[in-house]
Amino acid sequence: MTPDTFSIISTILEKSFHTPEQMIKHNTPLSDLGLDSLTLMEFVFAVEDKFGLRIPEEKLDPRQVGITLINLCNVIDEIRENHSPAH
Amino acid sequence: MMSAGQVEIAGYGIVSPIGRDLDAFDHSLFDHKSAIQSETMTLSGQDTFSVALARADLNTENYLTPSKLFADRATALALESVEQALRHSGLDLSAIESERLGVFWGSGMAGASSFDQTTRAIYSEHKRIRPTSVISSMPSTPASEIALRLKAQGACLTYANACASSGVAIGEGMKAIRSGDIDVAVVGGSESMLSPGLLAAWNALRVMVAIKKDVMGCLTPFDRQRGGFAMGEGAAALILVSPEIYQRLGFFQKIRVCISGYAHNSDGHHITNPNPVSQARVMSLCLKNAGLNPQDIGYINAHGTGTLLGDASEAKAIVEVFGQNTTWVGSTKALHGHLLGASGAVELIAGLRALTLNQLPANSIDADVDPNLQLRVINEKGLALPDFSHVMSNSFAFGGTNACLIISKKNEFQNA
Repeated sequence: MTPDTFSIISTILEKSFHTPEQMIKHNTPLSDLGLDSLTLMEFVFAVEDKFGLRIPEEKLDPRQVGITLINLCNVIDEIRENHSPAH
Repeated sequence: MMSAGQVEIAGYGIVSPIGRDLDAFDHSLFDHKSAIQSETMTLSGQDTFSVALARADLNTENYLTPSKLFADRATALALESVEQALRHSGLDLSAIESERLGVFWGSGMAGASSFDQTTRAIYSEHKRIRPTSVISSMPSTPASEIALRLKAQGACLTYANACASSGVAIGEGMKAIRSGDIDVAVVGGSESMLSPGLLAAWNALRVMVAIKKDVMGCLTPFDRQRGGFAMGEGAAALILVSPEIYQRLGFFQKIRVCISGYAHNSDGHHITNPNPVSQARVMSLCLKNAGLNPQDIGYINAHGTGTLLGDASEAKAIVEVFGQNTTWVGSTKALHGHLLGASGAVELIAGLRALTLNQLPANSIDADVDPNLQLRVINEKGLALPDFSHVMSNSFAFGGTNACLIISKKNEFQNA
């Protein structure tokens, strides 16, 4: 995971979803961010828009129990890596 | 005459173009400070146009509702006004049974700005649609989010009767308390239609004041040269409680005001043209409901949109019920614009402040009031009226729904 990815996601959570900074840790499960299922969809939508990509459900289903912020960051990095000009 | 029963106003709140709280609202209202300005809109496929509008000074970008969703602006404004009303009343929500607490909210087209944004994303910007765009576009979302905030389980109703929406909502909340169905009603209305697509639609209807060569037409209601209204946005909320609850919970407002009368009816006549006969009838019905006579009313807060036809119809109706040049009449739309579905609630707050401060808000200052209307229009600033106890507030809508409310100073109200 690049520190950059986590930082961008943290900013989205803080600025758009008013998530307290102390709740935003690498190992925080998405289910512990104080967002319900609808808001979680909006959060993933905002993340996808910010990075200009789509997260396929088979790669990461945000409704699945135990998915953490670090899992989300890793999936984003993987998608970005696969779609980077070097590839 | 006997009153059908009063309902106490425990507190209220407002977010409007002329003030985002009561203090600021008072200042502009009685100092006759207008927030109306002109803005030029350029939309692909449309002629460039200028509109007169008044925006509420509240940033609602990324405003999260109690259910943690991004709010449509009409929902955000609604929630802000309710928070103010709760603080103003000092209501302890835990002292109310949730099944005896209801929400009655009015809006002509709450959610329309979000819908406009969604259609823009699809057809113009070619962007993805947000997952919760349906929720933010629902006209009932303001009421639902208020109910969520309050954990209200007694009623959650939305009234969409164009410009009479919040007048109806307030009256229906009052009726629910009168009937004993609930003890407490959070009532009011919100509206925000200042997005480009909606303004273009309103502009096409040609009821807003014209702006020609950067010169705005006459916005003064009841003026001889009146040319239509400016579009406003905002919200107002009131906490209504039964007299028993008011006593039990020990509410104490310095000046105790209640809602004493409510009536509504329909023109059954034309989709936009008003019907003075129905308007006169709704005012008479409201007086009867309050157990009052025309001469008891000290101030009529008129619907007064400033259109030629609308003001003439309302004036004819007022003269029919009250006589020529009798009761003080004024509209406050030249200050905050026409808040459409929220206008009834916002203007009832203007009436409440007049009753509380013994001062009438000016319709205009030294305007050329149309003598044909035969109304006693408040055409000066700072008109003190120490001896009045009752205010009538009119809301008349496209579609023909008419709503009328009367508020009364409790200590001087004889028909309790």
